[in-house]
Order: sequence, then C-alpha cells, then structure tokens
Amino acid sequence: MQKQLAIALICILLIYIFFILKAVKRKNMRIGYLIFWMITAVILIIALLIPDLIDKITKIIGFELPINMIFSVAIFIILYLIFNLTALISKEENNTTMLIQEISILKRRVEELENKNKI
Amino acid sequence: MRVLLIIPAYNEEENILNTCKKIENFSKDIDYVVINDGSQDNTLKILKENNLNYINLINNLGIGGAVQTGYKYADENNYDIAIQFDGDGQHDVNYIKDICKPLEEGQADMCIGTRYLDKTSSEFKSTFMRRLGSNIISLCIKMCCHKKITDPTSGFRAVNKKVIEEFAKEYPKEYPEPESTVSLLVNGYKIEEVPVSMNERVAGTSFIKLWTPIDYMVKVVLAIIIDSISFRRGGKK
Repeated sequence: MQKQLAIALICILLIYIFFILKAVKRKNMRIGYLIFWMITAVILIIALLIPDLIDKITKIIGFELPINMIFSVAIFIILYLIFNLTALISKEENNTTMLIQEISILKRRVEELENKNKI
Repeated sequence: MRVLLIIPAYNEEENILNTCKKIENFSKDIDYVVINDGSQDNTLKILKENNLNYINLINNLGIGGAVQTGYKYADENNYDIAIQFDGDGQHDVNYIKDICKPLEEGQADMCIGTRYLDKTSSEFKSTFMRRLGSNIISLCIKMCCHKKITDPTSGFRAVNKKVIEEFAKEYPKEYPEPESTVSLLVNGYKIEEVPVSMNERVAGTSFIKLWTPIDYMVKVVLAIIIDSISFRRGGKK
C-alpha cells in the first residue's frame, strides 16, 4: 500500500472513531448499535495494521482477490443494516400513527369536557 | 343498535357541511364523527363553527389512519355498528338502513355497499378503467380467500362490534379497503354485499390520477397476496 493512501485511510478512520466516541458521550444511540459500530472500527484498525491478515483470510475462504472479499462482506453488512432500518422505520411509523390517533381522540375529549364545564 | 358514521375528511371544505347536514336530517338516531385528517383548507374552521362532531388529527395520517381513528372512537364509545362514509358527497344516506340490515340480522360481520351489483339503477357506475381495476382486485381476493367480493375498493361499508374491536387494534394503512377485506376473510369473518348507488363527486378531485392506477393495481395485488399469508399466520387473537 502506498504511504499517502495509508495516511488518508488512517485519517478517515480517526474521524470515524471520533464520531463513534461522540455518540457514546451524548448517549443518543442505542448500545446495540454502538457496539456494532465499534466492532467495525476495530476490524478496520486491525486490517490497516496487519495487511497480511486480510490476504490470508482471502486465501482461506477462497476469494481471488482481497478486494472482492472486502466488497462482498461490506455489501452484505450494509444490506443487513438497511433491512433492519426499514423494519425499524415501519415500526416507528406505526407507533407515531398510534400516538397521533390517541392524542387527537384525547384532545377531543378534553374539549368536550371543557365545554360541559362552561355551561 | 347504536350506529356511528365515520367520515374521513381531507380538504373537504366544499362538501363536508352538506354531508353532515344530510345525515342530521336523515335520522336523529345515527351519530357521526368527522375525522379531519390534517386538512390544509378551511375544513377545521367549518367543523368548529357549525358545531359538528369531529376529531381533529394533529398530523396527516392518510385515509387508513384516519378511518382507524374513527374505529377507535367507536370502540371507546361502545357503538354496535360503525359505517365508513365518504365526506365528499359520493355516498347516499338513504342506503344506511340497507347496509346495516345484514349486520342487525347477524348474517354478516361486515357489509359492503357495492356499486356494480346489477339491481341498482345507479347513475354513477364508475368508469371502465375503475371497473377493470375492481375486477382484477376482486379476482385476486377470490383466488387468495375463496370469496367473491364484487367491489373491494368501495369505501361505503358497515361493520359490527367484533370487527370494530379488531380494526381499532389493527387496520391496514396503505390500501385500507381491499386489505381490510382480506384480513377479515382470512380470519373467518363473514362479509356481505348490498347494492347501492353512488353519486358523482360533487366537488373536489378524486385521489386517482392518470398514471397511478397501474401503480395502485400492482401494489394492491401484492398487498392482498402478502396479507392473505401474513394475517393467516398471525391468526385470530
């Protein structure tokens, strides 16, 4: 790997880790997701520090080139993530719908009661 | 029998007052509730000023979410029959008795007011494209649920107490009319149809645009197939 590329990758990785740490500090992300992001960061660090490791794994699994393996694995992880996100969004949509309905019915009730009290 | 009309309204300032007045004049025994689905026009103002019974949704939910609010209201206030009724003047109050009859006699859990049954002398039998669409959906429901529903997209439908409870808990939001029909059929509820005639829309525009029917058809057919599998697996709670 060329030096400039390695430095660029390390910089990106550092920014990535910075974002994760920020999210940890703010506590606005679920722990499950945080652990997932941390694991990916750790894997990236290992891959950067020991490039030979990826070569070996590639040969063991049977890919022609390391890059093929990396892209395949990355795409599958991303597919899994997106699938989970769409499921989560649908669930949240149902929750907000339910809340809007209940609040609207309650508001009507409150108005009715207020009107009764006036009379 | 306590009967509630659920009237979903989205930007219906021109029609809603007429519809409600017609219902009030038709019978004093029938209650109605207008669900204002976050209209951007003066619908809410009209509802307030004329002291109509309404629920104002604090955010737009779409037809499915709006109608379900009505079913929740019906469930909380212990109504025996809930009727879905369009606020745009398409549906005729004179058919309310007809549509309630199968429910009162216990012959059905849901009764759909159908445009295409032959007995009606309807002026508005709908366009060729709409009928074609209805036929395709109808065929699809027949294949999945083994029951012929002539007009599965009709928004004029009455349900009994059991179904009100069911709908209050869970109601499909994307294509509510055909999907709710499938969910009931799959769970063993009985559905009847009575002929009604519908009026042309008095004002406002129909939600179906030029290119959307194809898109709508494909999605509805898929939704029916998915529902007929998933609702069955979920079973009756």
